[in-house]
Amino acid sequence: MPLLEIKKVSKFFGGLAANLDVSFAVESGIILGLIGPNGAGKTTLFNCITGYDPPSRGEVVFEGRRMNGLRPDAVCRLGMARTWQKVRPLAKMTVVDNVMVGALCRTNSLSTARAAALEQLRVVHMEHRANIKAGSLPLGERKKLEVARVLATRPKMLLLDEVMGGLNPAESEEIIGMVLDIKKLGITQMVIEHNMRAIMRISDRIVVLTSGEKLAEGGPQEIVSNPAVIQAYLGESNA
Amino acid sequence: MKSLKKNDRGISALPVLFGIAVVALLFALPKFVTNTYALHIMILIFISVITGSAWNILGGYTGQYSVGHAAYFGVGAYTTMVLLQYRHIAPWFGIWAGVAVALATGLLIGSICFRLRGPYFVLASIAVAEIFRVSALNLKDLTNGAEGILITDIPPLRIGNAVVTDFLSKVPFYYSGLVIALAVICVTWLVQNSKLGYYFQAIREDQDAAHSLGINLTLYKNIALSLSAIFTSLAGSLYGLYVGFIDPGTVLDLGLSVQIVMTCIIGGIGTIFGPMIGAAVLVPFSEALRSNVIAQALIDSGLVRESSPLGSFLKEQLSHAHVLIYGILLVVVILFMPDGILGFIRKLLAKKRKEAA
Repeated sequence: MPLLEIKKVSKFFGGLAANLDVSFAVESGIILGLIGPNGAGKTTLFNCITGYDPPSRGEVVFEGRRMNGLRPDAVCRLGMARTWQKVRPLAKMTVVDNVMVGALCRTNSLSTARAAALEQLRVVHMEHRANIKAGSLPLGERKKLEVARVLATRPKMLLLDEVMGGLNPAESEEIIGMVLDIKKLGITQMVIEHNMRAIMRISDRIVVLTSGEKLAEGGPQEIVSNPAVIQAYLGESNA
Repeated sequence: MKSLKKNDRGISALPVLFGIAVVALLFALPKFVTNTYALHIMILIFISVITGSAWNILGGYTGQYSVGHAAYFGVGAYTTMVLLQYRHIAPWFGIWAGVAVALATGLLIGSICFRLRGPYFVLASIAVAEIFRVSALNLKDLTNGAEGILITDIPPLRIGNAVVTDFLSKVPFYYSGLVIALAVICVTWLVQNSKLGYYFQAIREDQDAAHSLGINLTLYKNIALSLSAIFTSLAGSLYGLYVGFIDPGTVLDLGLSVQIVMTCIIGGIGTIFGPMIGAAVLVPFSEALRSNVIAQALIDSGLVRESSPLGSFLKEQLSHAHVLIYGILLVVVILFMPDGILGFIRKLLAKKRKEAA
């Protein structure tokens, strides 16, 4: 049984279909890349899955359990965590306190949470930043902090929304290493990314969305050679 | 990297000892100070510390800027006073009824206002509190309307046959205020050093991020509001019993709500000591303005001659301008000390330390 199943999910904003009958499944332990041009409905799909914007139609099934109608905090406690396209550090709290907020999802003890938080910071190589305010971090470290914070909620599945957006090649490389490390921990990941070279390297499977609908699905090699995908990205004459 | 040296909870011996000394001094104070005006100011400071710290849990830590806390203050005061005056229920039972009513009020207001965010939450909190004020004005059978409630006497507090206090002097009110103020400060400390504090601050910093990290927003906002309402209501009851008279224009007034928020802003929002500093500065300051102490001092010191136009103007008019001066003070604090007096002092200390290093 797949870990996550998206069954004919549609999301309407007034008359506009941001997602239309999107269906696919995510097997446990893989990295699934979710790509598509701007406005394809990738983030909307994340919002549907994690309870921020419940789907208008269709079903989201996680570990055999229907997720529609659950609030984001309940989704997180069930083991599905997300990051945000626009980073959201808890600016006036320190880096370690940020991660502790995530860790407190699984414990009531501050000392346990602090130990878990420091452990997560080691995973993303940020333990030396533990005691500075999150608001004073540069973008690259904010993105890593974001990942450390959701990892601290001990998710079974992680939804990463453009974690490499706005980063320089060296920083992106670091994030790629981190995503692969997380895979080794056995955590399933769904990754939205515009950096094609990165997504081709890390993904086991790729789903392509355009105008809210699923255009293609397959392994990285199938996707790059799929004429419909090339057409969607580069236009008619280049196909 | 100085902060690394602190232990996990950030406690060191010196401030704790200092705190104990201050508390001991405050408990001993009425033994030495018999001046009723001094005690009066202290009681007002305690009430202001209680309301400020109570607001701080919801506004400072959780980031929900309620400008309607007069509702809880007034509901507590009215419940206690109505029960005492018309039902002859002793206030040490009545205040808990006041707390219960304030809690119910809080959950009602929360269910309406917590759907909104930012400035909309502020506006809604003002509007709902105004509903309570207007209701108190019009439900004459229950609240005696605009005439207010005057209590004729408070029964003496007895344990067994011994009379603990008869509430005739200011001293029992002084101790009640002190104990409740210490209680709210302890609760704030406990909140700050527990999961609650982390969750409250996460909600303040970014609601959506907090939500995605498994924090039930409705639950934790309501916990913060409940703690806040309980202590605000106790302050209201204490105020009513101490002054002996309440009406909608004092205990349910928007001005009171604003003053509660100002105590925190001027002292320092989201810190344990902020509301204490705010209260210790604002209460004597506004009393001094109101009672013309400042104008008199300027004249006595010879800086301004009483017969000069400025002297007579100050003497006649300054006491009427206390709201204006209050407002100017607020503007100055927001412009030059955005983190309040406490934040300003901390910044100065950090600067000095850097220069020394």
